[in-house]
Amino acid sequence: MSSHREAPAISRDPVADNTDLYAFVSPDDPGTVTIISNYLPLEVPYGGPNFFEFGPDVRYRINIDNDGDGDANIIYEFAFETQVANPNSFLYNSGPILTIDSANWNRKQFYSVTRISRGRRQVLGSGLACPPCNIGPLSTPDYDMLASAAVHSLPGGRTVFAGQRAEGFYVDLGSIFDLGNLRPFQNLHATFGLGSLSAAAGVNGTDNFSVHSIALKVPKSDLTRHGTTPTNASSQDSVVGVWASASRQAATVREPWSEYVHEAGEWMQVSRLGNPLFNEVLVGMGFKDRWNALPPSADQRFAGGVQHPELATLLPVLYPGVFPNLAKLTAPRADLVAILLTGIPAGIVPGFQNFTGSTLADMLRLNMAIPPSSSANILGLIGGDPAGFPNGRRVFDDVVTVELRAIAGVTYPLVNKSYTPDPAANLVTDGLTPASVNVPFLNSFPYLGIPQSGYHTAPLGTV
Amino acid sequence: MSDSTRRGFVKNSAAAAAGMTVVGALVAEQADAKAAAKSGPVVAYIRDPRTGEISVMSGEREVKLHDRKIAARIARAAN
Repeated sequence: MSSHREAPAISRDPVADNTDLYAFVSPDDPGTVTIISNYLPLEVPYGGPNFFEFGPDVRYRINIDNDGDGDANIIYEFAFETQVANPNSFLYNSGPILTIDSANWNRKQFYSVTRISRGRRQVLGSGLACPPCNIGPLSTPDYDMLASAAVHSLPGGRTVFAGQRAEGFYVDLGSIFDLGNLRPFQNLHATFGLGSLSAAAGVNGTDNFSVHSIALKVPKSDLTRHGTTPTNASSQDSVVGVWASASRQAATVREPWSEYVHEAGEWMQVSRLGNPLFNEVLVGMGFKDRWNALPPSADQRFAGGVQHPELATLLPVLYPGVFPNLAKLTAPRADLVAILLTGIPAGIVPGFQNFTGSTLADMLRLNMAIPPSSSANILGLIGGDPAGFPNGRRVFDDVVTVELRAIAGVTYPLVNKSYTPDPAANLVTDGLTPASVNVPFLNSFPYLGIPQSGYHTAPLGTV
Repeated sequence: MSDSTRRGFVKNSAAAAAGMTVVGALVAEQADAKAAAKSGPVVAYIRDPRTGEISVMSGEREVKLHDRKIAARIARAAN
């Protein structure tokens, strides 16, 4: 998955698990940038009675690097608290939740937003209400209204939302984790001698699940080094690197025969996310937990997994005869290094750059001077749309297909024009599009769809 | 002053001084304890007793002390 359960340690700590990160120029408010950081993978909508919520013992952060060194210059920090109205009740709600401050809602969450820059902490908002989870037509009969009430204005033209959203990342988990058996191409899979398969349509493995999103919309000038609004797409000052993270305090002590848990010490990062699938696909199993604990400025040590991705060697083996040129490509993948670790320098893709410098750092890089596309292509830059991934990432971008094709060699000619990608490299996909997402995306903030209600969600079936 | 009386005076004075020191230490410890209590629970972590480095954590703060004797004493108590 993009970054759901992508490393051994964080897979045991879903409340702190970054799942997806989006950063894009807001299409309906192009003077601003929207950043969405998701946590809590694969929420089953009917997962009560203790429905999903943010961790009050976790510090969530959206980090901005605006000088290219892979360290944060601006941090937006989110701290949550839970308030239980009636501890003697086992109920999440004792009646319909018609308003966000309903007395019927027994377990509410509130949060603060703090902007940290140059050592200065500025509290932008506190006591901000989260919406409840979407329970069902009796408990949350007008969920859209509840969620809208949880969109808060902050000083300086900023807007924030934190709460449950429909999962928007579409990916055929079942097929990919079954030895890379992409359904549209499974007729070409080696199958390890276990019989032949017919090509089939992709299945969206995350469909109808929910996540918890922190969505923040800020003026572009809130992110730049000099506080200016970027207008020149060829300027390095127009590009910012974005990553999200989650931290826990260093020490946890449990007391005997008590629910009391004491936590103390500095906040230690336990999860992070820049580009989708980076830690998942490009970092070895034995190093994923360490990657999660480090800042992007330390990513030099993981560059080998980008230069020589394991998946690029697997594709020709899993699909015999389909990727002959990729099988012969043994040079370091400078194209992937540019896309994921430095940004793409000027002169590689005509009229485009999102270069942040020579520091190798996994960050989602956004050239904020590039306006939103009037006719977006879900394949982003490789589909001819510079407003999409890997120039930031929009909620509907098909990052699975983009990264599959890039690893399969489609982008290698950017750095070596003598290389001819295999024809299959331009076709490989898990067979999904935004139409594979049952809940539609929104055209305005917070852009991710309304989460499915528990009542209306059926248990997983079989394909 | 007889010798015995003088020795007794010296002895008693020394005891009084020692007593004052003990009382002073107790008062200081109690004051320290009261001050420490205000900060809530404190967690001490010794990664490697041989280095003498003790991480002391309270709230969101963490400071590092270097004291081989205390580190070794705590390590012995834990074994």
